[in-house]
Amino acid sequence: MTLRLSIPWREARAPVLQRRHGGGGSKAVPVASAGRSRASGKTRRREEAGLKRANFGDGPGLPTLLLLPQLLILLFFFFIPSLRALMQSVLLSDPFGTNVQFVWFDNFKALLASSDYRQSIAVTFWFTLAQNVLTLGSALVLAFATDRIVRGRSAYRTIILLPYAIAPAIAGILWAFLFNPAVGPLAQVLHSFGVAWDPNLNPTDALILVTLAASWKHICYDYIFLVVGLLAVPVSLMEAAAVDGAGPIRRFVSIALPMLGPTIFFLTVMNFIYGFFETFAIIDAVTKGGPAGATNILVYKVFVDGFVNLDLGSSAAQSVLLMSFALICTLLQFRYFDRKVNYGV
Amino acid sequence: MGRKVAFIAALFGALALVGPAQARVEVQWWHAMSGVLADRLNELVEKFNTSQDKYTVVAVAKGNYDEVTNGVIAAYRAKRPPEMVQIAERGYMTMLLSGAIVPVQDLVEQKGYKIDFADFIKPVASFWSYKGRMSAMPFNSSTPIFWYNKDHFQKAGFDKPADTWQELERQLYAIKSKGISECGTVLPGDFYWSLLENYSAINNQPYGTLANGFEGLGTEFIYNKTKVVSQVARLKKWLDDGLMQIAGQGFSPEQLFTSGRCSTFVNSTASHGNIERNATIKWSATFLPHESDINPPLNSTIGGGAIWIMKGHTPERYEAVAAFLDFVAQPETQVWWHGATGYVPATNRAYALARERGYYKDHPTREIAVLQLSRGTPNENSRGFRFGNFVQTMLAQRQEVEAVFAGQKLPQQAMDDAVKRGNEILRQFEKLNAGKTPETERP
Repeated sequence: MTLRLSIPWREARAPVLQRRHGGGGSKAVPVASAGRSRASGKTRRREEAGLKRANFGDGPGLPTLLLLPQLLILLFFFFIPSLRALMQSVLLSDPFGTNVQFVWFDNFKALLASSDYRQSIAVTFWFTLAQNVLTLGSALVLAFATDRIVRGRSAYRTIILLPYAIAPAIAGILWAFLFNPAVGPLAQVLHSFGVAWDPNLNPTDALILVTLAASWKHICYDYIFLVVGLLAVPVSLMEAAAVDGAGPIRRFVSIALPMLGPTIFFLTVMNFIYGFFETFAIIDAVTKGGPAGATNILVYKVFVDGFVNLDLGSSAAQSVLLMSFALICTLLQFRYFDRKVNYGV
Repeated sequence: MGRKVAFIAALFGALALVGPAQARVEVQWWHAMSGVLADRLNELVEKFNTSQDKYTVVAVAKGNYDEVTNGVIAAYRAKRPPEMVQIAERGYMTMLLSGAIVPVQDLVEQKGYKIDFADFIKPVASFWSYKGRMSAMPFNSSTPIFWYNKDHFQKAGFDKPADTWQELERQLYAIKSKGISECGTVLPGDFYWSLLENYSAINNQPYGTLANGFEGLGTEFIYNKTKVVSQVARLKKWLDDGLMQIAGQGFSPEQLFTSGRCSTFVNSTASHGNIERNATIKWSATFLPHESDINPPLNSTIGGGAIWIMKGHTPERYEAVAAFLDFVAQPETQVWWHGATGYVPATNRAYALARERGYYKDHPTREIAVLQLSRGTPNENSRGFRFGNFVQTMLAQRQEVEAVFAGQKLPQQAMDDAVKRGNEILRQFEKLNAGKTPETERP
């Protein structure tokens, strides 16, 4: 299993726990993991040789000590809250906690029986899928273009990276305003083409709008990885292909793209996790889950049921389910796609 | 700052063990006001603090109502609740049955203050009291009223908006067809409150069984069998005909009215401050319309917040709380707050005082809410609402209404579904609180 090393698990999980606490803390650090996924082959060889272990001397003392800060963070911000969520999910409790009843799996049963929750699952599925395709697709095109640009490359890169610096809520407001049917300039353009655009009224329009906003916000993340990934493609291979008469697009599709496999795979996982957990602020700013629940993705529903409706049992049950979905989704991706990914250079 | 002063004062008191250097008792009040309203609230607290030298109230803004509620829940669970907290009307049942509060009337009487609770305006008193005893101190009470653009109506040849929905609809269509305004009205952000709940009260329609929940937790919604269904159909028709617009996220309905784009707007009387400041149009306001076959219309119900007292503090601090609540209930305070914010005066005495001073001669629209709240005798359809998890049922209902607007459901089907979902939520509340009685023990 090379995965443990090539995919930075910690970063992958971090958004899960940050979102659950509502603190808009740090994001996964892209640069560090970029290096790691590229260096996966090397790391594996080192592990096989047992070099790492030798570096720490005998006994578990020093490694444990070095791991301790991270373990403590995980303990306090992930394991304990998760455990509490798990406990809360089988309880019916009033918000003040003065009356608590143990109800077994009633919260889960009620959820699975509720059409509202099923709608939320469907919305989340389409939303994350569309967001994933759109984000990765655009980022690929932009990264490919970066390679072709000679002059002003750094300016180009900086501009593409800018959205990452914008807070999600602000990004959301921006998009909501641009596409506001009453005053938004882009909505006016759509109207002039005869499109009856109204995300306040039309569920499909609303879903399209939040998907666009969420993708736009995340393109730069994927872009950084892909640009770095492209740099790792050996120039000699590209030149050889060029000599053989392959055009830039052909070279990209046949050589660069397969070699980007590990990066794209990693990004797919990250995009799903982003869609599951980090799009909360955008939904809150653009649609508040409406209209008619059309953009009520699972993580937003967890928030509304827990913090607005004060239905703690149901909210906890939902976060448990949401975490399972994310886990299953990630495991499936590893199980079925990882085999097709070529990690060798 | 206040805390520091109190601390130093306490230190001095302890060191000297004698003398007039008496420490002020400090109590916290968490509130949900922001912007201008928060400034006014701070002024109110300042007035109290300077009016005497025994107590200091510290007002702490904790975000919007949801955030305040969550804050106080977390604080209570951590055993560090504030003494007082401002909670919105929809949270009434949650607070009443929380086991975490001290009923206001009990505390005030125990501490020897004589607030005339019978003098509170009826829909205000009935909303915040349980079995005739006030559970929370009415603080910022409002009710929806009907705002309109004077010019638009005059140009179309109308003096003012009509009293009935039927007549009003004709007026709005006339204004639109004459090209005076493209948008007859804008959908309020809290339309469920003004156009469905208050609509039901005014038009004498039951919203739930057991007197809208006043007679027990077994209450069930029944608004799918009342005029609410045709009201939703009316809104849908207006929307389809372009008579009504939705402002949408990132844009407030109020702006569409104050900028002159939409001719009318149903909104809380508490928006007086904003509208006076922002409107570029000639505006006025009047009573909410009623159905033509309902005459006379009943009173509307309140929205807004009340001050709840949290359990678990020392008698000295409750002294301070009682003194502050007594101050809030004074007619002078009420009249000042009414004028400063647009919320209604909570007591008849305060209203009479405002009238006496000729306040409504200069501000006629500020009297509408009081008159609308206090007209007639409230019956079981207009007394208010006693539904547990009322926020949750409201959100489910709003979602169903949006499904009507989106053309996914017909009004009857949507209201049936809303009632079904709402009743499941009510049953959950009943299950959780079965056999529980509200707090009556003395602090």
